[in-house]
Amino acid sequence: MYRKTKLTAVAVIVTLLFLFGIITGCGGGNTGVQEDTIKIGFLGAKTGGHAAYGIPTLNGMKLAVEDINAAGGLLGQQVVIIEDDHRSQSSEGATVTQKLITQGVVAIVGDPTTGITKIAAEIAQGAGVVLVSAGAVGEGVVEIGDYIYRDTLLDKLAAPVVTKYLKEELGWEKVALVTSTNNDYSVGLSELFRTSLDEYGMEIVAEQSIQDGDQNFSAQVTALSKKEFDGIIFTGYYTEGGLFMKEVRAQGLDQVMVGGDGLLASVLWELGEDAVEGSMVYTGFAADPEGATGKTLEFINKYQEKYGELPDMFAAQGYDAVMLIADAIKAAESADPAKFKETLRQTTNWEGVSGTITFGPDREPIKSPVYLLEVKDGGWAIKAVLPVEI
Amino acid sequence: MDDFLKQFINPYYLQVLMLLGIYLIAALGLHLITGVTGQLSFGHAAFLSVGAYGAALLNIHLDLPFLLCLLAGGLLAALAGVFVGFPSMRLSGDYLGIATLGFCEIIRVVFMNLEITGGARGLAGIPRETNLLTVYILVILTIVTIYRLQNSRFGRALVAIREDEIAAECMGIRSIWYKVGAFAIGSFCAGVAGGLYAHMLQYLNPADFGFVRSFELLCFIVLGGLGSISGAILGTTILTLAPEMLRFSAEYRMMMYGTLMVAMMIFRPRGLLGGVDLRRLIRSSFRSRDRDTTTPAGG
Amino acid sequence: MDLQTLLQQMINGITLGSTYALIALGYTMVYGIIKLINFAHGDVYMLGAFVGLAVVLMGANIWLAIFVAMLACLCVAVTIERVAYRPLRSSIRLAPLISSIGVSIFLQTLMTLLKGPQPVGFPQVVTNTIYTVGLVKISTVQIIILVVAAVLMIGLQLVIKRTKMGKAMRATSEDLRTASLMGINVNAVISFTFALGAVMAAAGGVLVGMYFNSVFPLMGVMAGLKAFCAAVVGGIGSVPGAVLGGLFLGVAEVLGVAAGLGSYRDAIAFGLLILVLLFRPSGLLGQPEQRKV
Repeated sequence: MYRKTKLTAVAVIVTLLFLFGIITGCGGGNTGVQEDTIKIGFLGAKTGGHAAYGIPTLNGMKLAVEDINAAGGLLGQQVVIIEDDHRSQSSEGATVTQKLITQGVVAIVGDPTTGITKIAAEIAQGAGVVLVSAGAVGEGVVEIGDYIYRDTLLDKLAAPVVTKYLKEELGWEKVALVTSTNNDYSVGLSELFRTSLDEYGMEIVAEQSIQDGDQNFSAQVTALSKKEFDGIIFTGYYTEGGLFMKEVRAQGLDQVMVGGDGLLASVLWELGEDAVEGSMVYTGFAADPEGATGKTLEFINKYQEKYGELPDMFAAQGYDAVMLIADAIKAAESADPAKFKETLRQTTNWEGVSGTITFGPDREPIKSPVYLLEVKDGGWAIKAVLPVEI
Repeated sequence: MDDFLKQFINPYYLQVLMLLGIYLIAALGLHLITGVTGQLSFGHAAFLSVGAYGAALLNIHLDLPFLLCLLAGGLLAALAGVFVGFPSMRLSGDYLGIATLGFCEIIRVVFMNLEITGGARGLAGIPRETNLLTVYILVILTIVTIYRLQNSRFGRALVAIREDEIAAECMGIRSIWYKVGAFAIGSFCAGVAGGLYAHMLQYLNPADFGFVRSFELLCFIVLGGLGSISGAILGTTILTLAPEMLRFSAEYRMMMYGTLMVAMMIFRPRGLLGGVDLRRLIRSSFRSRDRDTTTPAGG
Repeated sequence: MDLQTLLQQMINGITLGSTYALIALGYTMVYGIIKLINFAHGDVYMLGAFVGLAVVLMGANIWLAIFVAMLACLCVAVTIERVAYRPLRSSIRLAPLISSIGVSIFLQTLMTLLKGPQPVGFPQVVTNTIYTVGLVKISTVQIIILVVAAVLMIGLQLVIKRTKMGKAMRATSEDLRTASLMGINVNAVISFTFALGAVMAAAGGVLVGMYFNSVFPLMGVMAGLKAFCAAVVGGIGSVPGAVLGGLFLGVAEVLGVAAGLGSYRDAIAFGLLILVLLFRPSGLLGQPEQRKV
């Protein structure tokens, strides 16, 4: 008898759980949001390994929506963000994308990573919803279809520009290349650097691989310390970058590091401290309250006021993605994705907080200029502004 | 097919249901290895990934028909299963589990570094072939096969090995072959599930097949009730749908998910359907209703 | 690789390995007594790092930070055992394992909510000087790690071998039921074991936070898995085995990276694990499992 009551209790719990799910509308069109709003979906991780990219993107988006609504909304309607978390899992990335679409979003911003963007792009393209990735930099994203865009600085434009600067202005000849092998961004960027280094006749004297999530780089650095080189090209993210340089200095090496916008976050010097002084990062956006002007400065101040920290690249690109979509909707005078995707395509010399954006003939973003930043006294200083030649 | 279904079912539900079906197939495979044969496997995600990459690569490079790709993916996974099954001759219990865990991580690292799988950048451009109908036909096929297998001579031998391997050997059961066989069939299921997964998401990344995924699958079958097919199905259903249903709790979702797992385990330590024979339960509940009608006012 | 590099890499490996060993001790002791792979252990280590960081940020020195982190983790681990594992002690073997996975998910999400997903830097609490000893360079932080780890491990060994509680622990790990029949309070012993493991992990967490200068909610996942491997390689259930396994894994990993196999590094650790299991199924120092007929 006792067992039976227990079983009944289990049945009740399970039923309650299912009911909860249905009542709170796990899907379905009705989510309690009024119909006279324009919905933009956020696709990204709030938990799990990618949360560090997802959360700032969402923060940036929220700020953009506040700005839009404060200025009277879009086409007389308020803009709302529909947000959901995919726990950094590909399979849930697909589920969340479907869910956002069933909730009636006209556009999706995300995912910050190339992999999940590809999954979501296939779905968004099929459903006729515009997707603007605020972080995907890998190959083969916008090729998925004409609803798919991104507002990132493409490394294939930036890497040659930066390599040229290293060779011609800084006189580097020999470099060490460090790649994070479980990071798709890093693997791709390293390949681009290999090509452009070769093009400019520079030599890679040492290659080391690390992994995202590593904390100990003593072995790689000890191996590097046996070689002679002018500088380190580091293609991974800021966490590992800061810690890597810390180890470089701990072992008494004095070379500096150059990397892509994956290194661009205050975490770099919070973790790396003195060791990252002089390290260089190229980017289309830099949170530099002293150097920034106009729109960008306003964004930095607002962001800092609201979240108590400087915005990073993901935050700025999240903000820009929403603004790009909003401007496209304004220009098309319609919130129909099939219509405003055309106006989005015509975006030329658009001033965003993360740089100037033009969508080229292949719908890839061309962002100019490339800022080469240098870490100075625990802050960013602009070392060079490099124009992108198309 | 999908477009047809979309007229009736919200695509979000469709997606969740497909994922559920895929997990069901994989979980049933693990059920055979761990639930029936009693061989602890912490590396089931590896077979999933072998099947997924195998099927996807065959489809992309050789342009084989979808079902053939699934089959080939399953066979590749089965091969990997045999490869892992052999160490089980030497290892038992937790040690076998740990060895399979190691195997799972090695496979992941290999996929992370191979050129043909796209490495860390993942494999994109897989055509979308999986649809709800295919998935559920295969789910039913798997359930029927595993059910029949379990109640065959082969299945009884597996149970005998789980209960007491030495005694089973004394009864003339060559436990090695049966164990390796169970691994092969279980991994075949996982491989097929992997193929479906690949052709649903259209993109694969090695990071999705880490040990966390393996333990997720293990949780599915243990939580439902180790050793019973209905338990495996119930556990998989609850744990796949729970993260979706808990979405109302926003940031606290995964905290609730974790709490739910602990609570369910404490509440039903042998799994939700552990020790419950569904057929007997249904029969007895019918019988008690009969009795109720004959002797009203509860004697 | 010349001798100097080799020695330098050995030092790096031993430092890394001794942090693995500190975590591995918790796995091995708990497994030794209740045959549970305690998945939440890696997250206790992560909590330890966060508590240590909080104390350091309040202006305390590193020793106080380690001490407070140990106390906090002790309480957490004993609570986890009481709430999530004890009710499951007499059920099937896999039940507490699933429960521990649930606890692990809970703790990771909790800390992501409280502290955010970004790694947090660890303030420099000791002036880091690099000493040159013979051919190799060793930093103050590395020396602190090695000394603290050694002191803790020796202390643990003394507790297990010389105290009454240690005797009770050994008896319980030999045979839980018999031990309880002999008048040993098995529940207290198990709580004590969890507490000891958590203390070691907490110290490991603070030391790693200080060494690598970063603390984040998912730091326990990979470190926990590696430490668990170390415990198995050394012979799960054996305390000296966990230490040996940790050092072995740390050195092997660092040498693998040094040999240019960085991207296959995790595979090296797990390949070694499988090899050891195949040739010595019960680990380097473990007692062979007896098959009873």
